[in-house]
Amino acid sequence: MSEITTADYIAEAKKALNNPVLQSALADLQNRFGRGTALAYRNLPEGPDLRLKAHDIRSKTIENLDVVLETLVANIRKNGGQVFFANDAEAAVDYCLATARRHNVKLAVKGKSMVSEEIGLNSALIGAGIEVTETDLGEYIIQLAGERPSHIIAPAIHKSRKDIGNLFADKIRIPYTDNPPSLTRAARKALREKFLAAGIGFSGCNIACAETGHIVTVSNEGNIRMSTTMPKVHVAIMGMERVAALLEDHDILLRLLCRGAAAQNMGTYVSYIGGPRYLQQVDGPDEFHLVILDNGRSRILADEEFREMLYCIRCAACLNVCPVYGKIGGHSYGHPYSGPVGAVVMPLLAGVNRFKDLCQGETLCGACQDACPVNIDIPRLLLALRAKLADGDAGWQVSRASITEKGVYTLWSWIVQNRRLYDFFLRLAALGQSFLPKNKDMLRWLPPPMSGWTRGRDIQPVAGKSFMDRWRSGDMD
Amino acid sequence: MDTSNQAAFISRIRSALGHTPDRQRPANGLFSGRSASEIGRILERIKNRTDTEKKQLLGRLIEMAEPINLNVIVLKDPPSVAAAIADLIRDKDSEWGSQKSVAAWKHPMIESLDLPAALADQNVPVHITELKENDTAETSREKERKRVRKHVVDSYIGVTSADYCMAETASLVIRTRPGQARSVSLVPSIHIAVIHADQIIADLKELYALIQWDPEASAEGLTNCMTFISGPSKTADVEATMVHGAHGPREVYVYVMTD
Repeated sequence: MSEITTADYIAEAKKALNNPVLQSALADLQNRFGRGTALAYRNLPEGPDLRLKAHDIRSKTIENLDVVLETLVANIRKNGGQVFFANDAEAAVDYCLATARRHNVKLAVKGKSMVSEEIGLNSALIGAGIEVTETDLGEYIIQLAGERPSHIIAPAIHKSRKDIGNLFADKIRIPYTDNPPSLTRAARKALREKFLAAGIGFSGCNIACAETGHIVTVSNEGNIRMSTTMPKVHVAIMGMERVAALLEDHDILLRLLCRGAAAQNMGTYVSYIGGPRYLQQVDGPDEFHLVILDNGRSRILADEEFREMLYCIRCAACLNVCPVYGKIGGHSYGHPYSGPVGAVVMPLLAGVNRFKDLCQGETLCGACQDACPVNIDIPRLLLALRAKLADGDAGWQVSRASITEKGVYTLWSWIVQNRRLYDFFLRLAALGQSFLPKNKDMLRWLPPPMSGWTRGRDIQPVAGKSFMDRWRSGDMD
Repeated sequence: MDTSNQAAFISRIRSALGHTPDRQRPANGLFSGRSASEIGRILERIKNRTDTEKKQLLGRLIEMAEPINLNVIVLKDPPSVAAAIADLIRDKDSEWGSQKSVAAWKHPMIESLDLPAALADQNVPVHITELKENDTAETSREKERKRVRKHVVDSYIGVTSADYCMAETASLVIRTRPGQARSVSLVPSIHIAVIHADQIIADLKELYALIQWDPEASAEGLTNCMTFISGPSKTADVEATMVHGAHGPREVYVYVMTD
């Protein structure tokens, strides 16, 4: 797992809220992609309900993942590809390093891949003395800046054109410009040299096709095609769930993926890659490797309550509508998997207690589910995680997050189930509040531990007579 | 010996799903998709398109190409396409060096354009991305590949054909064959694709039906690399401003021949 900073969730969120450049970038992103995606779903010939069908396809695939994966790898091997099953991040990284070393690779190029962020591939390559270049423009920018992606599809959304201009002037030694086309051209030139010199290209996989034996990559820039065509070796890394059984499933999944990710009918480049170059072919890699990664996914698979999260195809549509992501940005989540998807995936992959702020920080508003191309019930999953935190769960090694909270709620549930006790506390509160400062009819201040509530707003006082009392006395005006 | 760790990995998935870990499960209809009659209907529809329907499809392609900045140009025959390409090459400057050169697939449709003749007066060489097989030793093949690669990298325009063009998404569909380098549609600054109007199909559904079930098209299957190209390379990574030509071609032209 790459470096995780989720302990700073609250501090990072505060920083993000006080960063006006980030706030306007996030608002702009959500305005365009959030709305664009909703419109794109409505404009589907089948309408937005196609997402329900996609949910069924994903469900059927995941329920038969063993058979689907066996078919996928048998077909890939038939086409001359090599397959490795990695139980965890370390095994995946070791395989990638061994492959690179076998070919004496000095320079590696990478297409944007969330799973490679998950396994921390870059730092491992650098540690082994192999230069690695991110080739998606957004990823390239943040790699030069020594930062991490703040959005799955738009990794450098937090950087202004001035930031990028200064960065390029400093790191790739071009005269300062903040003109987006000039900056893009400068990166195009610098990266072209890398593509042509690299000995190995790494990519992710958006959604493989088992029956034909192909992985599929989607990009708008063409960097993934470059990374998978020009170097001698191509290594694709995929989470074990990123596969469909049938080619006709792709008809639905690809269209929804492109709409979810960027409100597009189709990404500029979609490549089905099924093996290395054949003998008589002119170009393409000599070797094709597919690394299939578990890294905690089989544990999610084993729990029927959370299995649905494996339907996710990492399009980032949920980030583009989430009111929480839209304010605190991707860095607060402490890991490249951010937004609602990160708030479910990270606790499940890397520890519920450790990532508790993520699933407790979301609002349960349900916008993520409406935006999800495969209609994952993210609010349900967030609630299930919170239930684990409230009660603890040995199977997931979750310890109770707050004993006080549990105590308070146990007490509360006991009180509200006992009418007389409840009335007693109501009357006590009605009496007690007369000593509190007021603003017109509202209470301005509550004593600790409730003082947090009135820090920024007033609260309605408890009525002098409860509804039940008024009902009984016939005083219903 | 299984060095891929497959057996242990798949066993873990089986037990996560509640099945016996070490017993292989049957596919149980998992890989049976559309019915034969539905596939038949799709293939029939493609084969029996009337001229009006074909015209509508071309119209739809042009409509869908516009917002993604894909240039679709409809012309009659190879000589008119060759002349149009010659004009384009006259107009466009090369991006990386001063010498203009073209890389092109070995393909009957491109041969019919006779590009070397059309470009002779501009002194623009046309390099065909074909391995000349003097002998079949891998070392000499490797030399040939290097030669072709250099030509493609040095070219500012790449000329390809395509297997199909999907109207609904304005996507060229390209499969990989000897003589038809993948890099020609990727590395040069400008990509030109020459197709015939009959190669236009509606959408993904038709494409998948053809390459899986049409007797002719399915013989090759998807090949080891099938690519959809929907417009020029683009990025919006600097303050969400759209810029063309991130890594792939900055302009794409599709010439559709109707004769």
